[in-house]
Amino acid sequence: MVEDNERDYGRNTKKNVLLKIVILGDGGVGKSCLMSRFISNHFDDHNFHTIGVEFMNKTTEVNGIQYTLQIWDTAGQERFKSLRTPFYRGTDICILAYAIDDRSSFNNIKMWLNEFLHYAGVKNGIEKFPFIVVGNKSDVSSKDREVPYEQLKQWCDENKIATYIETSAKTDSNVVEAFSMAVQRWADLEQKAEKELRMLHHPDTVTLHGASTVSSIRATCCSRFSNV
Amino acid sequence: MDEESMWKGFYEKLQQQKSTEEKVHESKIQEVDDSFFEKFGSLLKQVSQRAALEESTPLAPLKEPEEQDGEQKDVADLQGERNPGHDSDSGNETLLDTDSEPEDPEKIDFYVEAIGWNVDELYLEILYEILHNVGGCDMGCEVGQQVMLSYVQEAFKIANEKHTQLLTKAEAKEPPELMLNVEVVEAKDLVPKDPNGLSDPFVTIYLMSNSSQRYNTSVKSSTLNPLWEEHFSLPMPANLHEDSLILEVWDFDPAETVKEKMTKIFEVKGVKGLRKLMKEIAITASTGKHDNELIGTSNIPLKSIPAGGMTMWFNLSKKSKLRRQGVLKLRLNFSSEKNSQVAAQEHRHLLRILLLHELESSKVAPYWWCGNFSAPAEAILTQHVAQSGLSQSDNWLAQWVVFCAVTTDHPLSFSLFNQLLEKITKPLQSGLVNEEEVKLFWDGAKKLLPTCYSHIRKLRKKTAGDKTVMKTLREVLKILYRLSVLDVPEYVDLFPVNLYGWLRDNSDGSRLTIQEVLNQAAVQGAADWFVHILDNNECKDRTEDSRLQHLIRVIQLVRSDLQRAVEYFDRVFVEIMSFPYSKVLYGVYENKIASLVEPEVIQVCKNLKRLQYNEGSTNSVYLAGGLNGETGLGTPQVDHEPLAMGTTLFELYLALQRFLALGQGLNETEWSTYAISKFHSWFYGGVAQWLDIAAYKALTRIEKAVDLDNLVPVDTNVKYSSSGVDTLAIFYQIKIFWQQLAWPDVEGCYTFVAKIVDDICRCCVFYSDKMAGRVDNVGTISTVYEERFEVTNEWCVAINNIDYVRQSLQPFVRELGMDEIVQNMCEARSPLEAQRCKETLQNVMANAIDTVKNKILDLLEIMVKKMMPSITRFLIEGAELLHQDCSSMDRVMRYLEANLDTLYQHLNNENFSRTLDIVWEQLGEVLYELIQANLEKRRPPSFFSNLHECLNIMVRSFRQDNKEVYTSDTLKRVEYLLKIHGMETRELIHQYHLERWQEQQSITEPKMGVLTVRAQFIDDNLKIEIMNARNLMPTDSNGLCDSYVRVSILPEDMFASVAKPKTQTHSKNLFPLYDEMFIIPLTAEQRRITDGLLHFVVKDKDMFSVSNTFVGEAYLHFSEVPETPAPISSLSQQHLPLSKPDSIDGDAIKALESRQGDKQAREFLKKQRQKMPSKQFFSLG
Repeated sequence: MVEDNERDYGRNTKKNVLLKIVILGDGGVGKSCLMSRFISNHFDDHNFHTIGVEFMNKTTEVNGIQYTLQIWDTAGQERFKSLRTPFYRGTDICILAYAIDDRSSFNNIKMWLNEFLHYAGVKNGIEKFPFIVVGNKSDVSSKDREVPYEQLKQWCDENKIATYIETSAKTDSNVVEAFSMAVQRWADLEQKAEKELRMLHHPDTVTLHGASTVSSIRATCCSRFSNV
Repeated sequence: MDEESMWKGFYEKLQQQKSTEEKVHESKIQEVDDSFFEKFGSLLKQVSQRAALEESTPLAPLKEPEEQDGEQKDVADLQGERNPGHDSDSGNETLLDTDSEPEDPEKIDFYVEAIGWNVDELYLEILYEILHNVGGCDMGCEVGQQVMLSYVQEAFKIANEKHTQLLTKAEAKEPPELMLNVEVVEAKDLVPKDPNGLSDPFVTIYLMSNSSQRYNTSVKSSTLNPLWEEHFSLPMPANLHEDSLILEVWDFDPAETVKEKMTKIFEVKGVKGLRKLMKEIAITASTGKHDNELIGTSNIPLKSIPAGGMTMWFNLSKKSKLRRQGVLKLRLNFSSEKNSQVAAQEHRHLLRILLLHELESSKVAPYWWCGNFSAPAEAILTQHVAQSGLSQSDNWLAQWVVFCAVTTDHPLSFSLFNQLLEKITKPLQSGLVNEEEVKLFWDGAKKLLPTCYSHIRKLRKKTAGDKTVMKTLREVLKILYRLSVLDVPEYVDLFPVNLYGWLRDNSDGSRLTIQEVLNQAAVQGAADWFVHILDNNECKDRTEDSRLQHLIRVIQLVRSDLQRAVEYFDRVFVEIMSFPYSKVLYGVYENKIASLVEPEVIQVCKNLKRLQYNEGSTNSVYLAGGLNGETGLGTPQVDHEPLAMGTTLFELYLALQRFLALGQGLNETEWSTYAISKFHSWFYGGVAQWLDIAAYKALTRIEKAVDLDNLVPVDTNVKYSSSGVDTLAIFYQIKIFWQQLAWPDVEGCYTFVAKIVDDICRCCVFYSDKMAGRVDNVGTISTVYEERFEVTNEWCVAINNIDYVRQSLQPFVRELGMDEIVQNMCEARSPLEAQRCKETLQNVMANAIDTVKNKILDLLEIMVKKMMPSITRFLIEGAELLHQDCSSMDRVMRYLEANLDTLYQHLNNENFSRTLDIVWEQLGEVLYELIQANLEKRRPPSFFSNLHECLNIMVRSFRQDNKEVYTSDTLKRVEYLLKIHGMETRELIHQYHLERWQEQQSITEPKMGVLTVRAQFIDDNLKIEIMNARNLMPTDSNGLCDSYVRVSILPEDMFASVAKPKTQTHSKNLFPLYDEMFIIPLTAEQRRITDGLLHFVVKDKDMFSVSNTFVGEAYLHFSEVPETPAPISSLSQQHLPLSKPDSIDGDAIKALESRQGDKQAREFLKKQRQKMPSKQFFSLG
C-alpha cells in the first residue's frame, strides 16, 4: 500500500460501526474456513493450522446498518494459547465454534468460553455479552454427526447464551447468517444497555446523548474504534 | 618420608577433641536460636560480604586480601568442623578442604618440636659441617662461621648450653671411617598399647656401646602395622664385633600431664598461647620425660650383619612378656661414607628447619616466599649439599619435596614451584632419578596440587585485575601443565579421596588426569560460587516481585563472574592448559540458573493477574479502544502491582537474554543445547502482560501528551505540535521494547507484532479522539451580534498531528521487522503460511491506517460543519440582497477565503483538498436544504439565481486546478436545482423540453412508434422531410389511427413568427407514409439559437371531437440537424422514438409546479397533463 493511496478514501466506512470479533474453538473445527467463507466466499480445503491469529475485515449490512467487522481468527492448538489470548481484550463479539462431527470439540466449548471470559475481562456476565455458538460442518452425513442440534440448544440455554446456529463453511450454509445473527445480538444488547443507562440517569426523560456513554455501563470489553 | 602424616594425626586428634567440646557448646546455641542453618547462613553471609568488599576494591594490594582470605577460611573451617552431621556434603568437604588450606603459620613451630626424629643429631652434623666448611663456596666466604653458627642455633632453637655441648662434641668429632646405614622399613603385628586397640609406634635405634646416641623415627599414629622407610647412618665403633644394634619400638604416649595440657587447648586464647602450650607438650614428649610405653625391643649383634648388607624381619620381644610383640623389618648395610639417601633425607630435614625458621623470622606473607634464603641459611645449605655429596638434581628434588610439604601449611610462591619443576622435569623424564625419588617427587606433587586447585577454585576471592593475581594464576597453571606432561607412576594415587572431597571419579573408573581435575576444580569453583551467591542474596520477602528481583540479582552476579573470567582468566587458561575456562563456567552456571529460574518464572507467569483498570471515576476519560468501558485512565485508580510485576519480569527476561548472549559468544556451535537457550519459552504468559502494560502506558501517556500540548508547531519547519512528537516517541518506545524483547521464536514474533500493530492502531484512534476533543472548543468567536466559528491554527495543527501519527504507522510496522518475520516464517514453516501471516499483518496495518484516515476525515467534517452555520447565514443574506448590496456576497467570500486560507497555509495538500471536498459537500447539503426551505417560502426565481450566482463565484474562486468543478453529486444536483429555480418561466419551459429531449435519447425500445425524418439547414432555411411513422399506438376503437404530424420550433417565444407546418392525415394506418417536405425560413437571429428544438407532435384526427388526440411526440435538437447544401435525399434518416410525458419527476416540471402563481407555468402544466398517457391526476404541490 502506497502511503497516500486513495483506495479507501471514499467515505464508505465513515458511518460504519466497527466491531471486533474473535472466533474461538478447538483446532480443526473449521474456524478459518468460516472466516474465509464469510470474507471471500471461498472454501479452501487446506489442512494447515492457523499460526497464532489471522485477521481480516469485511463490511456488511445488518438491519440497514453498515458494520465493518474486524475478525480475528485464532489458533486452536494448546501451544498457541499464550499467543492468542492477548487478542481477546477489546472484543465486541465472540464466536465459539465446534464441529458437529467431533464430540470433544463440543465439550470444550465451555473451556473456550471460560478462557475468553478470563482474558477478555468480561465482567457483567455471559448474558450481557454477545456470544454465539456455531456448530460447523453441518454438511456431514447424519451417521457422522456426534452432536445433535438439541444438545447445542440445551447447552446454550444452560449457559445463558441466546445465539447459536449450525453452519457449513464447505457448502456455504448459514455462514453469513451466523455473522449477521452475532451482529444483531450485539446490537440488541447495545440497545438494551443504552436503555438501562437512560433509565439510570434520566428515568423520566429520553436523552439523545445515550450513545456516547453506553459503553461505560456495559463495562464489558466491548469496544469500537469509532462509535459513530 | 611421612612426618606430615604424623603431624596430621596428632592435629586431627586435637581437632576431634575440640569438636566434641564444641558440640556441647553448640547445642546450647541451638537451644537459644533454634536454627543452626540461620546462623550458618548469616555467618557465611558476613564472609561473603567481606569477599564482596574485596571484589569491589579493585586494585587492593595483594597482601591484604590474602590475609583476609586466610581468616575467612579459618571461619569456614571452623564452621565446617562444627557441623559434620548437619550438612554432610559441604561440611565434610570443608573438613577435607582444610588439608589444602593454608593454616596459621605460627603453628608450625609446634610441629617442628613435636617431631620425633633426632634434631640433635642433625644439629651436630650441621655444626660439624660448619666447622669443616669446604672451601671456595660462594656463600661460605661471605658469611662468617660465627654468623652461621648462631643462625643455625636460632633456626634449630637449641639452648645455649646444649649448643656449647654439641659444638664441643662436633669439634672433637672426627670423620667416621665406617657407617652403618639402617633403614627402618616397617613393622607388623605390634601389640596394641592404647585403649583404642592401636598404638602410635616409633622406633629408637642405638648402639649398645653408645646408648646415649639415639636415633628416632617419626611416630605413626593409630596403627599396628606402621610403615616408616626412614634412613639412618650410625658411625661404627672400633670394637665392632662385640657391639649390638638395639631397636626399641615405642608407643608414643603424651602422658597424663600432656593430656591435661591438651585439654587446656580449648581454654587458651590466641595463637601465641596455643603455641606456648604446644611447645610444653612437645618438650614433654621428646625429652623422655614422657610415659611412652615400650612395645618391644630387638637386639642385633653387629657381627651378624653381612658385609654386603641385609634386609630382614626381626622379632620384637619384651622382658616381661613371653609373647612376640611384633616384627620389624630392617634394611642394613655398612658403608664407608654417608649414604646418599641418608644425606638426602638429612638435607630435606635441614631444608625444612631452615625454611620454617626463615618463614617465621621474616614473617613473609603466604604465597610470597619464592626461594630466597637469607645468606647464612644459603651458606649452610650449600655446605650440606657439598659435604654430603648431593647432586644438583638431588638438591632440587629435596627442595621440591620440602617446599611442597611446607606449602600445605605455609603457602609459598607458586612461581618457586614452577621454577623447580622446570629444573626437575628433565632429570625425571630422562630416567636419571631412581624410583624412590620419583615416589618422593609425586608425594610432593600430591601435596602441592590441592593448593593449586584450591587457587583455581577460589579464584573469585582474588582481585581479578591485579597483575599479581594474574601472575600467580599463570604460575599455578604452568605447574599444572608441567605436571600434566609427566607420566604418573601406576602406584601413585595423585588425587586421594581424603584430600579432594569435591572430586568426582571418572564414570569409567579410569584415573583422573590433571586436566580433568582442573575441569572439575573450575566446575566446583563455579558451583561453590553459585551457592555462595544464593546464600548471600536471599530475597527480602516472599513476594513475587522480590523473588524476581532476587533472580535478577543472582543472574547479574553470575554474569559479572563470567565477565571477569572472560576478561581476565580465560586467556591464561587457554594459553597454558588449552582449557576453555569461561565456557566451562558457563556450562555450570547456565544449568543452575535454568533450573533455578524456570520454575519461578513459569509460576509467576501463571499467577499474573490481568491488567484491570479500575473504573468509577466520573471525570476520567474512557478509552475509545479495546479498553473501552473498563478503563478509567485516572492513574490513582490503577493498581500498581501488576504493572511493577510485569516490569520486573521483563527485567529478568532481559537479564536472561544478556546471559544467553554471553553463552552464544562462548559456545558458538552448541549453545542451543544449553537449557537456558529456551528461556524465552518460560515467558510466554508474561509477554501478553507486557504488551498490555505497554499499551496501557502508551494510552496514559498519550492522554497526558494531549493535555500538555499547546497546539503550536514544534518548530517553524513542521506543522505538527508536541503531542504528535510525544505520541511517536511512545511508539518508538514500544518498538524499542519489542526490539529488546528480541523474541526468538518466529510464531510468537508474528503474533506479538500483530498484537502490537493492533495496539498501536488503538493508540492512534485514541490519540485522534483526544485531539478532536482538545480542539472542540477552539475557534468559536462570540460577539453580541453573532456566534461565529473561525478555523484556527490549532485546528490545523490538530489535523496535522493525527496525520503525522498516521503516516508513521507504516514505517513503524516495517521497523517492527515485518519483512524479517515473513521471511523467517517462510523458512520455518512454508511459503503459503508465511503468505497468510503477511496478509494478516498487512490487513491489520491497512485497517489501522484506514481507521485513522477516517478519524481525520471525521475531524475535518466536524470542522467544516462548524463553519456551515456562518456560511448559511451569509448565503441567505446574500441571496436576498445580492442586487441591492454586494457586501453580503463579499462577507461569504471573505469568511470562506479566510478560513480556507488558514487551512491552505497549514494543512498538507492532501488534507486541504479533502477539506475542500468536504466543504463543497457540506455546502451542497446546506444549499439543498436552503433550496427546499425557500421553495416552501415561495421565493422568487431571483432568489435562486442569486444563490446560483453566489455558488458560481465561490466555485470559480476556490476550485482547485485540474479538478472537476463539482466533485460531489450533491453539489452537481444543487447547482442544477439553483439553475432551474433561478430561471424565468419561459426558460424553464424550454428546459422542460430539453429534459424531454434528453429522455428521448435514452429510449432504446420505443413503445409508441418511431417517426422517421430528415432535416437540414441550408443557408438560413430549415428544410424538413417527414418521411413516415411506424408502429403507431392505435387510438381509435378500430385499433387503428388517423395520424398527422405537426412541426414546431422551440423555444416557442423565439420562434413565434415562424409557421408550424403539418402533414396530411393518413387514415386507418399505423404505418403511415407522409413523405412531405417543408422549408421554414429563419431569421439570422433565430438561426443563431443553438439550443433550439424541432418538436414533432403526432396526433390522431378525431372527426367528432373538438380537439385531436395526442399520439406521441419527438424532438430533434438543432445540434442534430446538419448544415449542408447537399440534397436532402443524400442525408441519413433520423429515426425518432415517439413518447409521451409520463411523470412529474423532472426537475424542470417540478420547478414549474412550484410556480403556482405564474399563469404561463400553470397553463403549460395543464397542457402537458393532457398529454399524460393514463387518466391519472397529479396534484400540484
